[in-house]
Amino acid sequence: MATNHSSSVPLSAVLTALVTSSCLITAGTVAAESSTYAGDIPAFTEQAEQAGIKHTYSGPWEYFVGGGVAVFDCNGDRRPDLFFAGGDGNSALYINHSSTGGELAFEHFPGYSTVPQKAVTGAYPLDIDNDGLMDLALLRVGRNRLLRGLGDCKFDHASDELKLLTDSSWTTAFSATFEPALPYPTLVFGNYVDRRAPGSPWGTCADHQLYRPTDNRDSPSIYTDAMALSPGHCTLSMLFTDWNRSGKSSLRITNDRQYHRGGEEQLWHFNEGAQPRLYTRNEGWKKLVIWGMGIASADLNADGYPEYALTSMGDTKLQQLEFDTFDESGWPQYRDVAYEKGATAHRPYQGDDLKPSTGWHAEFDDINNDGLLDLFIAKGNVEQMPDFTSNDPDNLLLGTHTGDYHEAGGESGIALPTRGRGAAVVDLNHDGQLDIIVVNRGDNVSLFRNRGAIYKDRTRISGNWLQIELQQDSINRNAIGATVSVKSGNTTRTRTIQVGGGHASGEAGFIHIGLGVAERAAVRVRWPDGQWSATYRAFANNFMIIKRNHPEATYWYPESAQ
Amino acid sequence: MTIKPYLYLTLTLPAIMVAGLYSSMLTPVHAAGDDAATPLLPWASNGIREHVAQQNLSGALTPQTLNTLLDAGETLFSARFTSADGVGRPMSTQAIIPTKRKRPARHQFARTAGLDANACSSCHNTPVVGGAGDFSVNVFVSEGFQNTDFDNTDPQFSNERNTNHLFGAGLIELLAREMTRDLQQQRRDALTAARASGSTASITLQSKGVTFGQLHAFADGRVDHSDIDGIDSDLTIRPFSQKGVMTSLRQFTINALNHHHGMLATERYGPRWTGESDFDEDGHHAEITEGDVSALVAWQATLPAPLPMQPDNSQWQQAATYGSTVFDSIGCASCHRPSLPLESLVFSDPGPDDTAGTRRHGEDDHGISYDLALLQWADSLPRNSNGHVLVPLFGDLKRHKIADQEIATLGNELLSQRFVERDVFITAELWGIASTAPYGHRGDLSTLDEVIRAHGGAARPARDAYINLGASEQQQVIAFLATLTLGDHQDTLDDAAGDVITERPDTTR
Repeated sequence: MATNHSSSVPLSAVLTALVTSSCLITAGTVAAESSTYAGDIPAFTEQAEQAGIKHTYSGPWEYFVGGGVAVFDCNGDRRPDLFFAGGDGNSALYINHSSTGGELAFEHFPGYSTVPQKAVTGAYPLDIDNDGLMDLALLRVGRNRLLRGLGDCKFDHASDELKLLTDSSWTTAFSATFEPALPYPTLVFGNYVDRRAPGSPWGTCADHQLYRPTDNRDSPSIYTDAMALSPGHCTLSMLFTDWNRSGKSSLRITNDRQYHRGGEEQLWHFNEGAQPRLYTRNEGWKKLVIWGMGIASADLNADGYPEYALTSMGDTKLQQLEFDTFDESGWPQYRDVAYEKGATAHRPYQGDDLKPSTGWHAEFDDINNDGLLDLFIAKGNVEQMPDFTSNDPDNLLLGTHTGDYHEAGGESGIALPTRGRGAAVVDLNHDGQLDIIVVNRGDNVSLFRNRGAIYKDRTRISGNWLQIELQQDSINRNAIGATVSVKSGNTTRTRTIQVGGGHASGEAGFIHIGLGVAERAAVRVRWPDGQWSATYRAFANNFMIIKRNHPEATYWYPESAQ
Repeated sequence: MTIKPYLYLTLTLPAIMVAGLYSSMLTPVHAAGDDAATPLLPWASNGIREHVAQQNLSGALTPQTLNTLLDAGETLFSARFTSADGVGRPMSTQAIIPTKRKRPARHQFARTAGLDANACSSCHNTPVVGGAGDFSVNVFVSEGFQNTDFDNTDPQFSNERNTNHLFGAGLIELLAREMTRDLQQQRRDALTAARASGSTASITLQSKGVTFGQLHAFADGRVDHSDIDGIDSDLTIRPFSQKGVMTSLRQFTINALNHHHGMLATERYGPRWTGESDFDEDGHHAEITEGDVSALVAWQATLPAPLPMQPDNSQWQQAATYGSTVFDSIGCASCHRPSLPLESLVFSDPGPDDTAGTRRHGEDDHGISYDLALLQWADSLPRNSNGHVLVPLFGDLKRHKIADQEIATLGNELLSQRFVERDVFITAELWGIASTAPYGHRGDLSTLDEVIRAHGGAARPARDAYINLGASEQQQVIAFLATLTLGDHQDTLDDAAGDVITERPDTTR
């Protein structure tokens, strides 16, 4: 069992530790830290307790999985606030009081709900009822809930409007999308093991619940009916994604082979108004069986076709569309490029334990602002699985200019002996540098503040960045499904606003783009209905708000960095 | 052809001016491939024989250290870079963001897309090194991302620009920094007011008497910049280039070294930002060190400020005096402001406003600063009652639309640059203009009268007023402008009977 880690460790000590840790790299580690890497390595300091956060995800077997965090602004100050799943304990909301560029500071706010929210495995923020306030989808062991945002970080889960008609289930995944012509989002709750089925847990995976909203605006409920997505294969992550640049979302699901029998990874057609159906062998879908834990999606080469990182026990997969096949047949066939790119992250990068890793939350973002996407993976033994490493530090795979990845978890200071689950990569103090939150099973959350790039015995500012918020009127106010295209010189970087994926964890708010040495960029938005915006001119190191059909973007300034 | 900045060497300066090690600032270039680090042979073809080691510099420079740095900068500015130094960028473009070519350029040198010069001084040489350039050394500015290898001067591929002089450049940058500071503080103040009151705060942006339109700050922290004028929306004054799109001498120097010479500065094109130590794939690593850039910046920043000369000829004196008044009265001075006040002459390098890819404040332990007041020419600068230096630039560091439907001569570009429309340019500083013909951003106007008549757009009323003057008053304006020479440097040039400025010994205060 890991111990809590004090946040009061001085940076010099961290850096000394980093040097020490880097000496412990074992031969054969993929994307080894010992390889030459000249880019910026961010220096993280864990400071959850110092920041006022004391929260542990815990509970019996049902809570070996899950452990999510929802990151969103619940009080209108645009600071990212944090909602933590609590397992069989209480979930918790922490309000962000961090000063711009300063130390992280949070306040526990138990008054967010009139009743304690227990049995929560994960949470995703989204504005379901189009009122401009973030709501929360709670994934639970038991009946799932939608918490309606009321403003000032308060929520109401008793509203008829957002009631869900679900049976008791064990929910571990979630995704949402706005389907054409529907006024509210379509929700999918992904379930894990059906504990009551005969022979449980082996081969008893539960179906998923699909909620399509009513188009009757006079209906007292948004979701009047639920539909089963069957078969379920014990999912731990799902994501609506436009994998083929069709303008329509499909549902990508990663499944845990630990419990399914005859299952596999899944991709569902979601055609307007039609019953969802699985992609089949006849449509080129290849069987892949992994211990699927989390999905991260990013368009690594800005070609419009996203790549997917799938965490598992052992190798992480990095899937890239097979274009030869796709061009001929339109089939969703993928090639795993994780090995060739040094992104398998299959065992710890430090220490002498060569047992396989267990990966959970995965997320792409440009953590060192060099203009290249990096991949963060939260790691940790399920509980006491002897065939897998018990000391499993999180990964920080820094993208390189050759397209490979460099492991910098140890050097950066995130290598703790905790059991990570859900996580988020987000700029908590509006300094342009991405911080990392990790929910740990049986231990306090980790709150890694990014202090900038390691330079000698201190840190220094890293590359340029841009953060963008999208707004629409009426429905889908946060433009879920929109793609932001940021062009500097010949380089285009894209980000798609999605709800889902990761491991039981979701984020809403500014999207972050590292720009490297570009000091300006041309920004275009492909709105969820496929319409392209005009080009907005952006200067680096700023927060931009782009409102649909407005010819000018506005800048936003945090309080002390105006 | 060189100019010394005439440092006052005083040993009584404060002891806090701890500088780097004079003797170790310069590191000799060694023969290529020589493991024994054999010094270059005397006849070696290298243009750079010593690199400047930034790691041996820090803090406020002593006069001695600054002198050494200036000597190095002067040498680099006039160095004719060769392939032994790393000239050329066979596999990268002229772009300021490191950008690879898909295939090697057909020609290493080309007067269009570059490489287009052997030395900085190849173009900055009229009337002396650091000066402006003739039409024959115009440059063709392409962003370097597409059509990088254009082989003709058609304006669809590039903007043709004349070479500006660099005298007083340090003062220009210092003014820009102070104005940027002022404007960004005004934005902060407006946001604070809006947040406190819960209502929108609209302010007029203004610094040193120059207004930059209106800004609207909202209570939720948003800012609407749609009514700002003559400045980028990040409220950073970018005083360099004809267009006014480059922030600092340092940024411009790195850009120019790459564009014109294929000499890549490590701080942008090196491993940290490109993953490669030889980004242009010419077989040379670390072609330009951070210290080299610092030396070039120091030399440019300390070039004397041009001051109006007093004609010996009484008729000219009288005409110029009247002309100055007319210049003001017809509106020329609303943009070509005779002076802007500058609070501090301390030049820090790196400066406060650059972004990644150009060294930034605090990015390493070797930032330096030097006080331009150490330079003899600084004594000649007028000051106001607040003790602020009145920088006689005849400019406002603001961009304006300079062409219109009828008067479009200066709107002759087809490509916008760095978000600035094609017919918008920063006000040309007129100090030194009499020594630096030709005129216009393309250098295609041979007389002052022609360039005045070419002003359209925002300058149209002043231009029309000039045209409506009587011939004698027009001559008075020209007579006044003809006093805006490079001052003593021009005299020195004349004394040297042609084209050489004699080095003056450093003097001690």
